[in-house]
Amino acid sequence: MNRERVAGKPRLMVPQTAGFVYCPGCHEPLVARAIAEALEDLGMGDNAVGVFDIGCSSFLLGIMDIDSVIGPHGRPPDIATAVKRIYPSNIVFTVQGDGGLLSIGADPLMGVLARAEKITIVMINNAVYGTTGGQMAPTSLAGQETSTTPGGRDASKHGFPVHAAEMIATFKSTAYSVRCAVNNPYNYEQTRECLRTAFTKQMDGVGFSFVEVLSACPSNWHMSPAASLRWIEESLMPEFPLGEFKNVDKME
Amino acid sequence: MVKPEVVIDEEQCQGCGYCVIFCPRKCLSITGDKFSPEGYLLPSFVSPDSCNTCGLCTLLCPRSAIEVYLNFDGEAQA
Repeated sequence: MNRERVAGKPRLMVPQTAGFVYCPGCHEPLVARAIAEALEDLGMGDNAVGVFDIGCSSFLLGIMDIDSVIGPHGRPPDIATAVKRIYPSNIVFTVQGDGGLLSIGADPLMGVLARAEKITIVMINNAVYGTTGGQMAPTSLAGQETSTTPGGRDASKHGFPVHAAEMIATFKSTAYSVRCAVNNPYNYEQTRECLRTAFTKQMDGVGFSFVEVLSACPSNWHMSPAASLRWIEESLMPEFPLGEFKNVDKME
Repeated sequence: MVKPEVVIDEEQCQGCGYCVIFCPRKCLSITGDKFSPEGYLLPSFVSPDSCNTCGLCTLLCPRSAIEVYLNFDGEAQA
């Protein structure tokens, strides 16, 4: 009997071991898989450096077979700057959560945007702080119940969610800014395509590229994985519309 | 005769059920009698006859725990 493999694990993904474990239904390993497949599509799997943030994104060290660095919380854009300037021919990307990029990491983000670094930032937007137990994040929705806003996020006290992809698209140094999701096969393939485009902008030396991915956090949303897929479509997507906000081939 | 086969890595699977949700032909199901070593409910490949090896189960598996194979009987074809 002959056996032919039709589909399966990408080459750049390794089985998870103890210590690098995501919750059941987490979308972060799916984003890692999309990154791995995009790198394989470009043939740059061995010439890519991932810079991961503290938080759930740090576990990517254990599931992706690429060169990687971990930085202090919120500082991966700065480390990615250094790596990119030392190895300009490599693809350098960071994977950060919404808390790590938009609250503590907002300063390094402004830095890379001001300097027009040719790196890619992948932001995983799940509307809460995942690792620390579901606190309110800059992207939490109005009225969303989190462990620090048990009565729901109140706009008069806690403000409004931050729209990172739209904000970054307004900068002159940005070559590509997009928001996508991995909640169904179509959106997954779109994400892979967007990541490929973002890495291509970097390889061509156009400018900074940003990919925001809407992601599920069933543990901290207190939902089943199936219910969290519905919540992404019904609550998260109306607030954070998917789409491309900037795509230029040459900087002004 | 070509037979599709879906192999689930029982040590990696966490029973989130995305493969069951996204299988367009309902070939996978969490039957409730199979458990992983970590104690998660495992999906089973219940209807091999309707599988057309589209690979959507493996695409949306957060743990990359699913592999899809085609088995050829008799003479080598692949």
